[in-house]
Amino acid sequence: MAPLIEGFTQIFNTQTILLVAMGEVLGIILGSLPGLTATMGIALMLPISFKLSQAAGMALLLGVYCGAVSGASIPAILLGIPGNPNAIATVYDGLAMTQKGLAGQALGGAVIASFLGGIGSLILLMTFSPLIARFTLLFGPAERACLALVGLTIIASVSSRNLSRGILMGAFGLTLSLLGTDPFSSSLRIPFPRLFAKTPLSSGINLIPALIGLFGISQALLDLERIKEGMIAPKQVKMERFFPSLGKIVRMWRIILESIGIGTMIGAIPGTGASIAVFLSYERAKKVTRRSKKLNQLGSGCLEGVVAPEVANNAVTGGALIPALSLGIPGDSSTAVLLSALLIKGVVPGYQLFSQNLYLVYAIFFALFLSNVFMLTFQYFGVKWFPRVLSVPIAVLVPVILVLSMIGSYAIQGRAILAATFDMGVALILGVIGYFLKKGDYPIAPIVLGIILGGMFEENFRRAVKLAEGNYLVFFTKPISLAFIVLSLISVVLPLLRQRRRGA
Amino acid sequence: MEKKSLFLLIFTLVFILSNYAEGQKEEVWPDPEKSITVVVPYSAGGGTDLIFRPLVEEMKKFTEANIIVSNISGAGSSKGTNEVLNLPADGYTLLASGTHTVSATLQGLTDGYKELEGIAGLNWDPFIVAVLKEKPWQNMQDLVSAAKKNPGTISLGNAGMGGATGVASVGMNLAFGGVFNVTPFNGGKDLRVNVLGGHCDVGIFSQSEILANQDKLKPLVILYNERSRLKDLNGVPTLKEAGFENLDVPGGSFRSISVKKGTPEHIKDKLIEIVRQAYNSQTYQNFMKENGLILAYYEGKELDEYFKKIEQAYITIMREAGLLR
Repeated sequence: MAPLIEGFTQIFNTQTILLVAMGEVLGIILGSLPGLTATMGIALMLPISFKLSQAAGMALLLGVYCGAVSGASIPAILLGIPGNPNAIATVYDGLAMTQKGLAGQALGGAVIASFLGGIGSLILLMTFSPLIARFTLLFGPAERACLALVGLTIIASVSSRNLSRGILMGAFGLTLSLLGTDPFSSSLRIPFPRLFAKTPLSSGINLIPALIGLFGISQALLDLERIKEGMIAPKQVKMERFFPSLGKIVRMWRIILESIGIGTMIGAIPGTGASIAVFLSYERAKKVTRRSKKLNQLGSGCLEGVVAPEVANNAVTGGALIPALSLGIPGDSSTAVLLSALLIKGVVPGYQLFSQNLYLVYAIFFALFLSNVFMLTFQYFGVKWFPRVLSVPIAVLVPVILVLSMIGSYAIQGRAILAATFDMGVALILGVIGYFLKKGDYPIAPIVLGIILGGMFEENFRRAVKLAEGNYLVFFTKPISLAFIVLSLISVVLPLLRQRRRGA
Repeated sequence: MEKKSLFLLIFTLVFILSNYAEGQKEEVWPDPEKSITVVVPYSAGGGTDLIFRPLVEEMKKFTEANIIVSNISGAGSSKGTNEVLNLPADGYTLLASGTHTVSATLQGLTDGYKELEGIAGLNWDPFIVAVLKEKPWQNMQDLVSAAKKNPGTISLGNAGMGGATGVASVGMNLAFGGVFNVTPFNGGKDLRVNVLGGHCDVGIFSQSEILANQDKLKPLVILYNERSRLKDLNGVPTLKEAGFENLDVPGGSFRSISVKKGTPEHIKDKLIEIVRQAYNSQTYQNFMKENGLILAYYEGKELDEYFKKIEQAYITIMREAGLLR
């Protein structure tokens, strides 16, 4: 009982509460700017946390973490540009809702969803942490390679109408993910290796500038065209009812619970991350809504399509803390920085944390709860103001987006001027490519999936085979990986069969 | 919103431009208006990052200029190293160098230490070979004889071929006649999760990693000629004590601070002074003690000489691993 009370008093004092609130605001601002990620926000606050007590420092960082994850949905919904990878899957239905004039509702729904996801995963973290940590250890290279395979089958569902175009784009993304140094031998896999060996190209294409280019810059270029055609009237936004009714949320119970589950589990598996969780939960929600009569179909601009990924990405926060606290192995890059705040203070997460500093574990739980409450509070007021961005004339908005996109891709590299300049180039080139692809009605999301999952699949596939001493059948001998293979086969074959039956 | 975004825009632009500001040749160094950046070529929260953050906090006390850490990770450690080499040799950019710099240079991914000059060597973080408690091997002898019986069946994981654990694992495998299945993982965390999950048999870890999973991992041997300074790990035998004499495995990561070649001598001297004071501070000494780091303090030219020694030890192993370019 004593550690519980100690943890409580460490968090619920004026100073720490203010710190969490401050972190939250900062996180939301950073998250909503394209290119600035939760990890970066936490790293920025790290030196400040050194000067605080362990619990207060963690609380501040957790505030930034939660804020940045939820803030990313704001530009995703309003402008179709995800603030960071957490909001990639929110773009579809979020933007479609905005185009219908429902921006306020989409934002409100996203806020409620983020809160539910955060609290849901916190409950899982508090209750099933040891169990989930043990489960994540079952994920070796073979299992992770097959999980990536499941992720790749989502290409089929985000390809809208044309599957072959989707696969083509997925392959393009995979190709981009192969650029850089070989994960096993460090040999270069880039064009003209002699020339580019010592340039940033040797570390490959980063996800963030690719996202900024494919979503942000390409959209801005399309909008420029609209200005030329004279379509410059700002979109109308209905400034009413921001938050979904309780009944509507209750009707989505299955989507919400499944997304909490997916987010927490994916978050808990090290080496995966929110960007995979949001796609998986979107995919699941699509299947759920297809069978339901009461829910709207995803993709058409409905609240369900915003809620699913937004629940999932905030559920990742609690999930990523599971292996971080119990094993000392962070679930994602943000929690890695969180942990370093503890390590520098001489607290080793994992075994020692529970045996010697149990109060800190409770303090972290309380801080995470507080962060979620603040997130809800600040976003509640914010939601009424954010849609006003849309009343800015497009002729002003587009250049601002373009500049912010370039700044975002530059800033993500911190002080690395070479790499930052390179990333601006990547964003620009992929922006132009994305513009032509969008004009030609090629889907963009499969490229992103390819970039995210390509590296994960390749590395783990090779590692699994190496660990199995060259046996390629290893994927069929492990129950989890076999299950994933079957799952991905079903999700590819079933829609094809259904299509054929309908056609016949 | 228009105003707000405009404000943000200006703010960010000013922020970025200020990074560019290099200024003219100054009389006084450091200019208190400027920041000194310590480039850590690994991501925030990683093992290397952790060694430098507390040092930087101490360094701040001994200079008027602000000092910040910038994590530039990628392509082993060569991305961050190349960034430092690209910036002017004015003493405002330092590199968190070490064994990783040697291995990245030997791999041809950067001009690395050939274009760097030493400020100060800091410490060694010795590696420990460990297995999951449930595994049948009780000590190093058990493990090696099991590996010799069925060569290639026991996997020996490292945190990435190009890094210090990679070199240690190849070196160890070389020393035992290539009986292990050396497998690289995607960083220390990935390796640890795979060893804990039983997917990889043996892992090479830093001391803090073993401490984090004390309840699940069984340390077999410390790859250093002395036992650990840490109470919890003091029982782990050295290779020699475990019955393997005359084996030379470069097992640990060395960390140091370097600047680009051509940095004026008087600036280097000042930097050395700042680092020396920070290094000798009670806080940093305690930090090293608590983390079981082995003191290895060298200044300026001494560090350059020390790098050559590390290169000698690395070169054969890198060639064997097919990493030498």
